[in-house]
Amino acid sequence: MPLRRSVRLAPLALLLVIAVSLPVPAQTPKSGGVLRTHPLSAPPSLSPHEESTIATVQPASACYNNLIYFDPAKKQEGEGTIIPELAERWSWQDGHRNLVFLLRKNVKWHDGKPFTSQDVKYTFDAVRGAPDAAAKLRVNPRKLWYDNVEHIETPDPHTVVFRLKRPQPSLLLMLASGYSPVYPAHVPLADLKTKCVGTGPFKLKEYRPGEFVELERNPDYFVKGRPYLDGVKWVIVKDRSTQIAALQAGQLDVAGSGWNKANWETAKSGKPDLVTIEASSNVNVNVLVNFKKPPMTDPRVRQAVNLALDRKAYQAGPALGAATFGGAMLPRPAGVWGLPEAEVAKLPGMGDAAKQKTQAKKLLADAGFGASNPLKLTVSTRAIAIYVDPASWMVDQLRQIGVDAVLEQIETGVWHPKMTRLDFQVALNLTGIGIDDPDANFFENFKCGSQRNFSGYCSEDIDRLMVQQSQTLDRAARLKLVNEIDRRLQHEGARPVLGWGKQFYAHWPYVKAFPLHDNSIYNTSRYQDVWLDK
Amino acid sequence: MRGYVAKRLLIALVTLVGMSMVIFSLMRLAPGNIVDVIFESAGYVDQADKRLLERELGVDRPIPVQYARWIGELLQGDLGKSYRYDMRAWTIIKPRLPVTLELAGLALLFSIVLGVPAGVVSAARQNRPIDYVLRVLSLAGLSMPSFWLGMVIILLFVRSLGWMPSVTYVSPFEDLRANLWQFVVPALAVGYRSSALIMRITRSAMLEVMREDYIRTARAKGVWTRLIMRRHALRNAMLPVVTVIGLEFAFLIGGLVVTEQVFNINGIGKLFVDATARGDFNLIQGLVLLIATIFVLVNLVVDLLYGWLDPRIRLR
Amino acid sequence: MAIVAATPSVQAETLPKRANAFVQFVKVQPLGVVAFFIILLYVVFALGARWIAPFDPEAIDFAAMLSRPNAEHWFGTDQYGRDVFSRIVYGARTALAVGILSAVSGCTLGALVGAASGYFGGRIDNFIQRIVDIMLSFPIIVLAMVVVAVLGKGNIGGVDTNLIAAIALPIVPKMARVARASTLSIVAMPFIDAARAAGFSHKRIILRHILPNIIAPYLIMVTAFMAQAILLEASLSFLGLGVTEPTPAWGLMLSGTSADFYQTAPWMIVFPGLAITLAVFAFNLFGDSLRDWLDPKLKG
Repeated sequence: MPLRRSVRLAPLALLLVIAVSLPVPAQTPKSGGVLRTHPLSAPPSLSPHEESTIATVQPASACYNNLIYFDPAKKQEGEGTIIPELAERWSWQDGHRNLVFLLRKNVKWHDGKPFTSQDVKYTFDAVRGAPDAAAKLRVNPRKLWYDNVEHIETPDPHTVVFRLKRPQPSLLLMLASGYSPVYPAHVPLADLKTKCVGTGPFKLKEYRPGEFVELERNPDYFVKGRPYLDGVKWVIVKDRSTQIAALQAGQLDVAGSGWNKANWETAKSGKPDLVTIEASSNVNVNVLVNFKKPPMTDPRVRQAVNLALDRKAYQAGPALGAATFGGAMLPRPAGVWGLPEAEVAKLPGMGDAAKQKTQAKKLLADAGFGASNPLKLTVSTRAIAIYVDPASWMVDQLRQIGVDAVLEQIETGVWHPKMTRLDFQVALNLTGIGIDDPDANFFENFKCGSQRNFSGYCSEDIDRLMVQQSQTLDRAARLKLVNEIDRRLQHEGARPVLGWGKQFYAHWPYVKAFPLHDNSIYNTSRYQDVWLDK
Repeated sequence: MRGYVAKRLLIALVTLVGMSMVIFSLMRLAPGNIVDVIFESAGYVDQADKRLLERELGVDRPIPVQYARWIGELLQGDLGKSYRYDMRAWTIIKPRLPVTLELAGLALLFSIVLGVPAGVVSAARQNRPIDYVLRVLSLAGLSMPSFWLGMVIILLFVRSLGWMPSVTYVSPFEDLRANLWQFVVPALAVGYRSSALIMRITRSAMLEVMREDYIRTARAKGVWTRLIMRRHALRNAMLPVVTVIGLEFAFLIGGLVVTEQVFNINGIGKLFVDATARGDFNLIQGLVLLIATIFVLVNLVVDLLYGWLDPRIRLR
Repeated sequence: MAIVAATPSVQAETLPKRANAFVQFVKVQPLGVVAFFIILLYVVFALGARWIAPFDPEAIDFAAMLSRPNAEHWFGTDQYGRDVFSRIVYGARTALAVGILSAVSGCTLGALVGAASGYFGGRIDNFIQRIVDIMLSFPIIVLAMVVVAVLGKGNIGGVDTNLIAAIALPIVPKMARVARASTLSIVAMPFIDAARAAGFSHKRIILRHILPNIIAPYLIMVTAFMAQAILLEASLSFLGLGVTEPTPAWGLMLSGTSADFYQTAPWMIVFPGLAITLAVFAFNLFGDSLRDWLDPKLKG
């Protein structure tokens, strides 16, 4: 008698199950092709040490190397994902007071000169503004990052020692950031603004300001077999709709820098073949509050403003459903230093909207404002779309609690000078944090007297705690301190956060190994492992 | 004729010098410091660093000294430096000039090809339906914002023809077909508006000439109308039309500035808008002078051409 | 004295008497009448915006963002959920206000400069003409952009005075040219010499005799420049240099984030653009008709 049908089919089914569950062998990367993509906006220069915008880091990253870097393939950056670049090995010594790097040998700069420890000392002496530095950066936004470095020694051409004033485990992460490339000691700093001379996988082919940055493969790159690409072309496209259309038409291979969810969906709906990826971004929309100028000197007014901004409405409105919420540090799970979720839910603005708006009105009344004497507030912001959208929403929310709010748009060239002068009442701001680390965030934005502390906020207590957490080696203890600082900053309304953003990218299926990190936008543009399956 | 040429040259020179003074002082009057743009992308402003920079760039000198220095640099062919990009202005402008010139040239071609015949027809059939239709069409063209026309064209073309503005420029020497594909549509958008102006001038010039006695005499004698048109009317009407082409240029530049934005063409117009938005005053200075100089030169050429065409001046 | 009292009646450039003038106009320039009524419609929109517009033009409503034209939102909504039709109605206010203020201030200043230039003649005339030449050397939008770059954004009583200055400035030299030409033709008249011989001050001669005769070209120019002013304001707002959010202005509705969305939500730009085109068209047509009727010789 023939076997029952199901029994005959069983071996076949088993075979299928086995075939499907076997891991698909990774495709072998192919060499060749030029990756075409677009930066967030036109890069002002090609020198990351002199800029604070990702528009420069994006094209420049392909050209340089750091001592150490975050692994492009690992989505969440951290101490555990650091890989060697110009440094082969490193170690902390003397209770995290000295950081020793053993450098790679036989590495050449793009112009053929050899790379040595002198280049490292030159770069970081310039960045930290050392009195005996060989060169001075004309503009130096991240000087504070290296405030704790006492001295940089080069005992031999392949060893560098960073001697610190006090222990600082975060220094390692800061050196791994896209903002910390190593510059050549033999090229004047002024030249590096318009051409890049690095050791990186790609060399600069042509740079036309406002048009494009074109890079080509470095045949002498110290990682053999890399990069896979023949080149990278960063085409500057101003409008989002043109970026979307260019991607859909195949004029770009990858697009998405600066996109919001709506742009992402528009791109995909036109061409369902596109691969869409998203990640958290370490960029938050926040409110700058001028602590030194009435009426925001009154804590009741500050609290009222914070309460009036309904975070859920923000989510439904300008954020288009893509925001995450937290304090000053990137919220979990994308960030590791964020406040616990239960606490975040209780922050001002997170609760019941109607109740909080009533509370806000009452606080304003207590401060002496009301229907007969409305609070007049000017909300300043930068005159570009990603700032104006949430700022317009904010004005609307403030009007709902009886504030006579108006929007003031400030031209880009005048924005920072105005903020630095504290010439505003409240402002809607976007802040991108270089790496998910308290040292990179707190000192720059909240320390008394820091140039980018645009609120004029100053608390000696918090400053002390900042230094304390910076030198705490035990991870759990440090987290407690960081959360404590965050908690207090939120309650004092030092820089209320409306929401944390997301990254939305889209690319054609033939683009492989495109890196995207969950807790930073600045550290993925080297593109040395990206390849095109064409 | 010689006196005429000399006078025209002198006027052009005086105009240029006057313009340079105006531009220079305007830039210095602007709010915000000329040096601020350097700090903008760094995200902070340090007063001490700023003062050092000002001294380095020579911005703290008295204005007449700075002006003299600028003129000196100009005479050596140096248009100044963009503070934002830290590059020589000419290095940034040079690759963009052919782009704008090509767009302007194509637009001018379209405007003449569309405008002159329309003006002739309109004049020949004055006050008939075709005249009204052409006049309304041309007035509509003048009334539309050129960038809006560009956006509407993009909407229509993208939807129906799958055409979209290219994000990278292809030189006509590399690939003529791709280049024209990229430029034809924006040139049409700008050209349509300019053609309206040319149409109106051609029409009124033709009408004027047609009223002249010698034309009426020829007509009365029974000479074939079309012959009259071509031989006498058109030739004499060309005089004011040629003058208008000079005026036209101004109109064209205005259209180009916004059209380059809409069609993502990296020309001088787009550079000018970007520089204004960023407060890169040094670059704006050089750019405005360049644009105005081209202007004055075009007007000079037109003036000289006019002088040569008009026998009253040529034979003096 | 007879000579001074006589109103020169030689030119055709004077304004005819009121009552039958209007009837004549309707007969001879039918297109002009159509244009006039279109302008009237915009004026009604501007003055009665509060009653005509169904929604608050600045009311944000993210739930309704980017909706197609429907029964509730006749022209659809923009990226903030604001009603496009209401913004167009209120936009008429901005357009007409900026247009009138710039055209009138530019033309007035231009007329004074041109009249003085033509009247005084000689070196003053030459000097003024050189400056006028220089200003005419700049493309209009370049001139306006430079003014905006220099002055930034001004604010007197909710009106951006610097924007108005930027738009009025390119008008001044053009009007000056026209006023000068008119003035020159009047100055050549014998009665002016007689007035001067009689000892009348310059001011009196200019005010009493010159200016009344430039009113006709002045009015024509004002309507023509209204059209140019509206277009220029739209261009400047489009470039981000004019009126700013959240003020409803037609040019502004075509720029900024609208550029991101117009390919998926075309109604956001089609309607504001039509509003601009129709307004400018009407002013141009009216100006043309006025000119054809008042002075056929003033063509081109």
